[in-house]
Amino acid sequence: MSAVISARGLTKRYGKQLAVDNVSFDIPAGRIIGLIGPNGSGKTTTLKAVLGLIPFEGDLKVLGLDPRTQRDELMQQVCFIADVAILPRWLRVGDAVDFVAGVHPKFDRAKAERYLTHTKLTPAMKVKQMSKGMIVQLHLALVMAIDAKVLVLDEPTLGLDIIFRKQFYQNLLQDYFDEEKTIIVTTHQVEEIEHILSDLMFISEGRIVLSATMDEVGERFIEVMVPAEKIEVAKALKPIDERQVFGKSIMLFDGVPRTQLATLGETRNVGIADLFVATMKGTYA
Amino acid sequence: MNTMKWLIKREYWEHKGGFFWAPIWVAAIMTFFSAASLFTVVAMGTKHGFQTTTVNGMTVSSVTSLSNVMTPEQQAEATTGLAYGYMGMSGPLFLVLAFVVFFFCLGSLFDERKDRSVLFWKSLPISDGATVLSKLAIGLVVAPLITLVIATLMSSILLLLTCVAAAIAGLHVFGQVYGTAGLYLAPLQLLAILPVYVLWALPTVGWLMMISAWARTKPFLWAVGAPLLSGTLLAWFNAMFNFGLNVSWFWQHIVMRGLLSVMPGTWFIHHGIQNANDLNPGMHQNVDMGTLLTHSWQTFATADMWIGIAAGAAMIYAAIRLRRWRDEG
Repeated sequence: MSAVISARGLTKRYGKQLAVDNVSFDIPAGRIIGLIGPNGSGKTTTLKAVLGLIPFEGDLKVLGLDPRTQRDELMQQVCFIADVAILPRWLRVGDAVDFVAGVHPKFDRAKAERYLTHTKLTPAMKVKQMSKGMIVQLHLALVMAIDAKVLVLDEPTLGLDIIFRKQFYQNLLQDYFDEEKTIIVTTHQVEEIEHILSDLMFISEGRIVLSATMDEVGERFIEVMVPAEKIEVAKALKPIDERQVFGKSIMLFDGVPRTQLATLGETRNVGIADLFVATMKGTYA
Repeated sequence: MNTMKWLIKREYWEHKGGFFWAPIWVAAIMTFFSAASLFTVVAMGTKHGFQTTTVNGMTVSSVTSLSNVMTPEQQAEATTGLAYGYMGMSGPLFLVLAFVVFFFCLGSLFDERKDRSVLFWKSLPISDGATVLSKLAIGLVVAPLITLVIATLMSSILLLLTCVAAAIAGLHVFGQVYGTAGLYLAPLQLLAILPVYVLWALPTVGWLMMISAWARTKPFLWAVGAPLLSGTLLAWFNAMFNFGLNVSWFWQHIVMRGLLSVMPGTWFIHHGIQNANDLNPGMHQNVDMGTLLTHSWQTFATADMWIGIAAGAAMIYAAIRLRRWRDEG
């Protein structure tokens, strides 16, 4: 199976500012990719290029189509939630379902309605009467009922409370995702999505600084709790990060075999948040 | 085609207030006040007389039936006037329409960017061309049709009330008024003017939609301020340096044509001033719809019309391209 999204030398400038700097990547089908980066790193710009919302330089194919010139065809297969709470305030729940059913050939009305029955939303309700969480529920109900090949989620849970956030990702996994589909997520709440991701992409200053599957990340990056007497030996192995917890040093290693690290102390897999902070340290210190 | 139907429905859901309720309310208020004043006049007249003759400070005679006041010629004239011109009573509704369409166009591609809902619409398989054309269709065709239906209903009610009031006042015109063929033709003739309106309004609608798609803030200021300012500057430079430019041409053909063409009937101002007398053929004082229709269609013989269509189409195309590529940061 060829790549669902394939970028070669993708570049986007805003005036003189380089938002995305000559980026290349391939995303195969059936993956859930976390695109993680600080604010202004080029995440959203990359996603906008994928969705054909902005012009760009370089080569980018989504499902074999060029988002710049073939966007109308592309949008039959691709869907996105760009931000929370962007549904128009005057829209009613019932009208929203009717509308999407009317314009989208791949919309499964029964599925959307089934999902909505589990919420407090009623057909006559207008978006302006809803809480932020309810708006996201409506948006998700609409989007999940669309049988798209690629789903892009840009900060889909920003500003929601924890119950809605958990529910959001749970619904996405249970009722939407399958091996035919590809999901790209960006979020600041990294911890909440780490268990659902299959791939990870760190982006910083318009460049991809890390791109790996979660299995690869688990093999490559290992944290060790090093007791005081072994610190010198450990430092010789060049940890990429070091922090102190309860008087002990926790060191993060990149590409050192687990068996070797086990001799230094207790090893464990690193969390994405810690890995992210460690990777970004060099750039932002 | 199905997508277009849903896009137009979508616009209607959003703008029901302007396209439907605004003319309904105006029509209701007009009907109420017209009926109230009509019956007050009639009640006063039948009680105290429509015409009083005063001799030495004393009222000597009062006539309580209109048929005695008006000559048969006056009666006939009033009857034809009513039968041919009753649609004219709905004039204010078309003024409301012009305002609604103007502000609809100005917000059509700006509001969705302001509240960011454009990102939702763009997540669906709907082309920018279809979206912009659906907005054009509702503003220039659906909204005028709704107003036309409401105007016809309101005018018919007012006509009926007038005839009833006249009857109470002793003037029986039902037979004559409702026996006039022109009465039934008038709404259809107004409908037949719609294509003239659609194409005549194109440069204004195109301009407003283009600004709506382009402006980052304050579309009203850009859309209205820019032409007014350039007209003023041109006049000023012309006066200062004596360029000998035809400034009034600029005001009439660029500024006015660009901003005011959404007002139904403005085509008469542009090409028909010299024929204004034709609109009032001596027979009866009211303009009849047939003459209005013929004169409206004669607009197609003017370059003004065709240049406007071309400019409007170009600006609508620009609005589509702008919507496609405008990046909302």
